[in-house]
Amino acid sequence: MKDLVIIGYGAAGFASLIEANELGIKPVLIGYGPIGGTCVNVGCVPSKRLLHLGEKGGDFFSSFEDTRQFVRKARKEKYEDVLSYYDVELIEGKAHFISPHEVKVGDKVIEGKKFIIATGSSPFIPEIPGLKDLGYWTNVEALNPDRKISSLVIIGGRAEALEFSQMYRNFGVEVAILQRSKTLIPDWEPEISLEIQRVLEEEGIYVITDVKVKEVKKGESGKLVITNRGDIEADEILMATGRKPNVDLNLSSAGVELNKKGGIKVNDELQTTNPNIYAAGDVIGDKMLEALAGYEGTIAVRNAIKGEHKKIDFLSVPQVIFTRPNLARVGLNSFDGDFDSRTVKMKDIVKAQIIDAEKGLIKMVVEKGSKRIMGVHVMAENAAEFIGEAALAIKHRMTIDDIIDTVHVFPTVAESLRIVALAFYKDVEKLSCCV
Amino acid sequence: MKIRINQNELKCEQCGAPLSEDDIYVRVINGEKHYFCCSHCADKFEARLK
Repeated sequence: MKDLVIIGYGAAGFASLIEANELGIKPVLIGYGPIGGTCVNVGCVPSKRLLHLGEKGGDFFSSFEDTRQFVRKARKEKYEDVLSYYDVELIEGKAHFISPHEVKVGDKVIEGKKFIIATGSSPFIPEIPGLKDLGYWTNVEALNPDRKISSLVIIGGRAEALEFSQMYRNFGVEVAILQRSKTLIPDWEPEISLEIQRVLEEEGIYVITDVKVKEVKKGESGKLVITNRGDIEADEILMATGRKPNVDLNLSSAGVELNKKGGIKVNDELQTTNPNIYAAGDVIGDKMLEALAGYEGTIAVRNAIKGEHKKIDFLSVPQVIFTRPNLARVGLNSFDGDFDSRTVKMKDIVKAQIIDAEKGLIKMVVEKGSKRIMGVHVMAENAAEFIGEAALAIKHRMTIDDIIDTVHVFPTVAESLRIVALAFYKDVEKLSCCV
Repeated sequence: MKIRINQNELKCEQCGAPLSEDDIYVRVINGEKHYFCCSHCADKFEARLK
């Protein structure tokens, strides 16, 4: 019987493998498809590379070819080579449970004391009449296009839709976003939803909100998307309608139940309804974030092997949408409770003025009375690079005074975090440079 | 790209004022997000529902 069986070799699976070795365990690692999972192959890595190349004015074909090479290199250095540094038994193939302590891969049965399920997620495609017959792109095809297109309709209005809209627009493609909700990224602060919509529209991206897609069919020269408010025709359709957990593992035979989101049900120690099976990453069906998946992989192994009962502070998990400007947030929204909040525009931040990056804002949400920081929401140049400070403040239950009493470098965009904290006490439009 | 869709303007659900990033307020009422220009409009909207 194996001590530990890890199913899935993406971010969470690799973090689990590394932690298992740290604890003196040689795990069995089972996976299928390109090693590294979504992030390095068809997720964060190629999409950020393409956004970068497009911003630099790269052309369509050479940018995608550059990105394919970049992905091959990253996959080799960060996954294939890494595998050789650790003590692991790799089995390639699709696993499914045949009992509470056994999985089968092809003809092989692997018995384990403990399991980590880290099988990730796949694009969720809603039922739309005509869509399957006509064909569509997901992130996979949009990152490896088989032809140059001149127009693209994106169905969906969250992170993936926003990033791909700018990516393709940067390459000179006409882009439209069809969003079912009343705003883009409706679970973000509304000021950021409207401000990023304005930025996208200024770049020539059509943003249509509060619209329902009814049917898709062949148009005069492209693909016709029919909605409740009219129609739109483009060369291709990108479905950016979310992701679903990969739970096709015959989980019922292992006594592993699913949650309301269709992911694997876990307690706050990442333990499933089978006490010997843990889950980590997108397969849980909650926040699908690369860094969180890796962290969960580490925690799941420590809890499974050492029984450490570690829990994750989800309140302090940051999230970024890599548009330009970046959208970054951590913690709660102002509308999640009876909180106090302040907003400062980037046009009032000196560094943003210096680098001509005045679009955007920062909003801080605090608990009334204690002034404990509950949420920070930013739309700013390179906001991804400093949201970690806000995450640390939330993780350590800091107040606005802790931020104010910490000297920040001037001039930086990151300084906006201190300025918005000061805004709870004074009119920051009337401040000199360093206060 | 051929577009034959009219864009809806986001308006305050209480007074009908157009909403922008400078004056938008969201309140979750009965589990659903509603968009207003200010908290006073949200209060009036919520009072109507009670």
